[in-house]
Amino acid sequence: MRNAEDGIRTPALPAKRTATAPVRTKPLIDPSTTPYKESPKGPVGRSEKRIDGTEKVLGTALYGADLFYNRADYFAQVVRSEKAHARIVKIDTADALRVPGVLAVYTAKDMPPGATNRQGLIHRDHPVLAEDKVLYRGDAVAIVVAQTERAVVRGRDAVRVEYEDLPVVADFDDALAEDAPKLHPDGNIMGGKRIRKGDADAALAESDVIVSETFVTQTVDHAFLDIEAGIGQWDGHLLTLHVSGQWAHEERRLTALALGLPMEAVRIITPATGGAFGGREDLSIQVYLGLVALKHPGKTIAMRYSREESMRARHKRHAMRIHYTVGAKKDGTLTAAKITVYSDEGAYASTGPAVLRKAASHSTGPLRVPNVYVDVYGVFTNNNPTGAMRGFGACQMAIAYCGMMDRLAERLGMDRVELWRKNLIRSGDEVTTGQRIPIATAIECMDAALKQFRSKKKDDRPLAPHEKRGWGMSVICFGLGYGDGFPDASRAIVKFNAAGRLEVYTGGVEYGQGLLNMAGQIAAEELGVPFSQVDVIWADTGRTLESGSSSATRQTYFTGNAVKIAASELREQVLDIAGKLLGVHPHELDLHDGKAVGRYNAKLVVPIDKLVEEGRRRKYSLEATGIFKPRTVCENYDTGQSPRSFITYLFASHIAQVVVDIETGEVRVERFIACHDVGKAINPQSVAGQMIGGATQGIGMALMEEVIMDDGVMRNPNFTDYILPTFRDVPTIETVIVENDDPGGPYGARGIGEPPLIAATPAVLSAIGNAIGVCPHTTPCNPQRVWELLHPEEAQVPYAARLSLAPGHAMMFK
Amino acid sequence: MHTNGTSWRLQCTINGQPIDTEVEQDETLLFFLRDRLGLTGTKGSCLEGECGSCTVIVDGQAVNSCLVLCPQMQGRTVETIEGLANGDKLHVLQEKFLASGAAQCGYCTPGLIMAAKALLDENPNPSEQQFFEGMEGNICRCTGYAAICEAIRSAAREWK
Repeated sequence: MRNAEDGIRTPALPAKRTATAPVRTKPLIDPSTTPYKESPKGPVGRSEKRIDGTEKVLGTALYGADLFYNRADYFAQVVRSEKAHARIVKIDTADALRVPGVLAVYTAKDMPPGATNRQGLIHRDHPVLAEDKVLYRGDAVAIVVAQTERAVVRGRDAVRVEYEDLPVVADFDDALAEDAPKLHPDGNIMGGKRIRKGDADAALAESDVIVSETFVTQTVDHAFLDIEAGIGQWDGHLLTLHVSGQWAHEERRLTALALGLPMEAVRIITPATGGAFGGREDLSIQVYLGLVALKHPGKTIAMRYSREESMRARHKRHAMRIHYTVGAKKDGTLTAAKITVYSDEGAYASTGPAVLRKAASHSTGPLRVPNVYVDVYGVFTNNNPTGAMRGFGACQMAIAYCGMMDRLAERLGMDRVELWRKNLIRSGDEVTTGQRIPIATAIECMDAALKQFRSKKKDDRPLAPHEKRGWGMSVICFGLGYGDGFPDASRAIVKFNAAGRLEVYTGGVEYGQGLLNMAGQIAAEELGVPFSQVDVIWADTGRTLESGSSSATRQTYFTGNAVKIAASELREQVLDIAGKLLGVHPHELDLHDGKAVGRYNAKLVVPIDKLVEEGRRRKYSLEATGIFKPRTVCENYDTGQSPRSFITYLFASHIAQVVVDIETGEVRVERFIACHDVGKAINPQSVAGQMIGGATQGIGMALMEEVIMDDGVMRNPNFTDYILPTFRDVPTIETVIVENDDPGGPYGARGIGEPPLIAATPAVLSAIGNAIGVCPHTTPCNPQRVWELLHPEEAQVPYAARLSLAPGHAMMFK
Repeated sequence: MHTNGTSWRLQCTINGQPIDTEVEQDETLLFFLRDRLGLTGTKGSCLEGECGSCTVIVDGQAVNSCLVLCPQMQGRTVETIEGLANGDKLHVLQEKFLASGAAQCGYCTPGLIMAAKALLDENPNPSEQQFFEGMEGNICRCTGYAAICEAIRSAAREWK
């Protein structure tokens, strides 16, 4: 592989024109007098401090478990399966009920009449409490309720469950074996997705070079810090649950279904939420809490997981095996891609179907590939269900297509950057699904990242003899939202309250990403009020309208638009009031800095407070609702093609520079550059925070994070053995924000959530490949795997067998 | 000092307030602070000393409150996040965390601020090595640490 020091061709600039006209010091048109608002004058584009920041630094923000104090009457705990696959013979609760303080033990039989006892965001295939079988070690079997937390834990441990073992389906090869036990009535294939575009086989046959590789990606845990916890009450009419999730209104629907309640009888109030990353998309404790609350009316029930339970119970990121073949002409032009993906769905579907779709539709990323043939299969196993996690499906595929670019460059003896440049989509080109991208900024992102990478003088420390340095790059795209015809929508209400403050109501969940500021800053911008005058009320099904899920990088685009639509409606009202008060046409007025101001007559000034007061007197509603529901088009079932599978696309490019210790296999990331086209950064600090945070998770995925499943048993359900990036593991990540206005986004904004993770992992892997001369194919690329890459002959011996050669180690492993 | 059974009479100081109360012998300081005193600013996350979310300061030292038992606090002085601000006036670390955008989900924030306070109280001008040693026990899953480093360094410049 060649280091691409001179790979970038700077186009020759036209010769500077000599100025013949006098240099203007003033613009021809004074922007302050132009009648239409062109660019934000208020908080949009400013790094306003987080709305919830003060309570977070004070420690007064109340997360789920912070609600127990002085409120909890009873405590609940879930009895979880100790078997990965078994039939339940008997649940003996006698010992548990004898524990002092234990009030009751509930099993599936105790579900209320009309309850489906089922959960699952896409397919309702997951029993809330197991009925006859358990499908993973973590499936819920029973719930114990007690007066104290001590008693409930003792009670939980005293429930005896008798199982009849069934053969464990440990991975997708097991699951696809002909004699494999059927985990679900329809067999072990959960679903699939295909892309058929052009004729990949024919194009491969005509290609000058063909490169193939098999990539294996790992199971990843979300590892949000705020463990699942919350409280709930049933007052005879309404079940109120204070539990964190990512989509309060859907959680209400699913909880009501599972418990057999009308939807109106459930209210979800989302407390402060400490991270999610997709890990809160499936229901966690909602139905358990709800069931116990229904059984104990009037009592406040509290429950929380331990870290181990959180990791054992929750869904994970899909482990995938990706067989990737690309063909290219001698000059590097891609001709075809043929891809087969197997993904470990675990025991239940979770959001698997959406992840498979995302994987298929992103299988060639931002590359121009005229002929594409993709088969993606989701396969049930007895591992944890796998579902949503930042980058879902798209990040695994990015590892593959970026990895293929490195391999192809090596094969062709071509510079990596040149190869990327040749094949990246331009505005108007098609992505994998055949969707034409009107504004494709992949190349711009790549060049901006390269410029930043080369802007700093090389002050790399000298290497020791056992160290190698390398750098790598990724360029990715991400289709925003669920797309694929999903009826996705967001709603918002914006109003002036009795105290004259501006209130924004959104059903979206703030879990750290900055949704409150995004919504508040847009509303303040539209209405010209100071940001400090805005309150955001969020994710309470009793007070807010549905805004869809906080996932898939969709909230800025969807809720941002809904807030903007509502706020511009309300703006009309305020301008109307001002017009009447001042005796001018509303179009002659503008709102900013808390005032209505004449566009052409600076003497016309009224404070907005006064207009609100006046509006109330004149019976204006001072309230408006906005709904944003863009249309996407279903991907064709047979071909995976769609003219508009996603509402818009995001582009990014990352560059990593690493030092690899070739004796120990350790990798240190020395430098990291993240460049993203976000359309418009509503809050640049928040955007940079997402970029750096996402890149850090991507570095974690590249180098260390891995849930180790061993015959259905999770070997590392804790932070001692599940390794997360710390202060020492990440360099100062340099951020480059590119802003290419999106025609449909609020103030041109697109979003930022997922792409930073998607782009980071392949950049690190590419750098490792560049350093050691062997491209990685398996994640995480931890010291063991780097060592295996460097010693392929010894790596032929399976890991477990190698360990068992060393006395003592076998015990550690099993 | 001992009382009957598994209870223990604990006398210590928390955020300047004298505490004299009965606790269970095997109660962790984290549980005592949160669920007995209602000081829920201190968070629990890994509950085994890996993530630092539960960091408090005991006699000037940063301590994982999930790993110490209440009887070990006998006669000691404990500082938690609730003791930092002076009325409406934020502590300089809180101010800088807010200004730098160092709190995203905010769950690790109290622990980080307490770890940083212990670090800077001991040495307001830590070297990179000392900085890492002081802070590496705290995990943040959201921010990628950059904003946190910036906040702590700018607080250090104004440390009194």
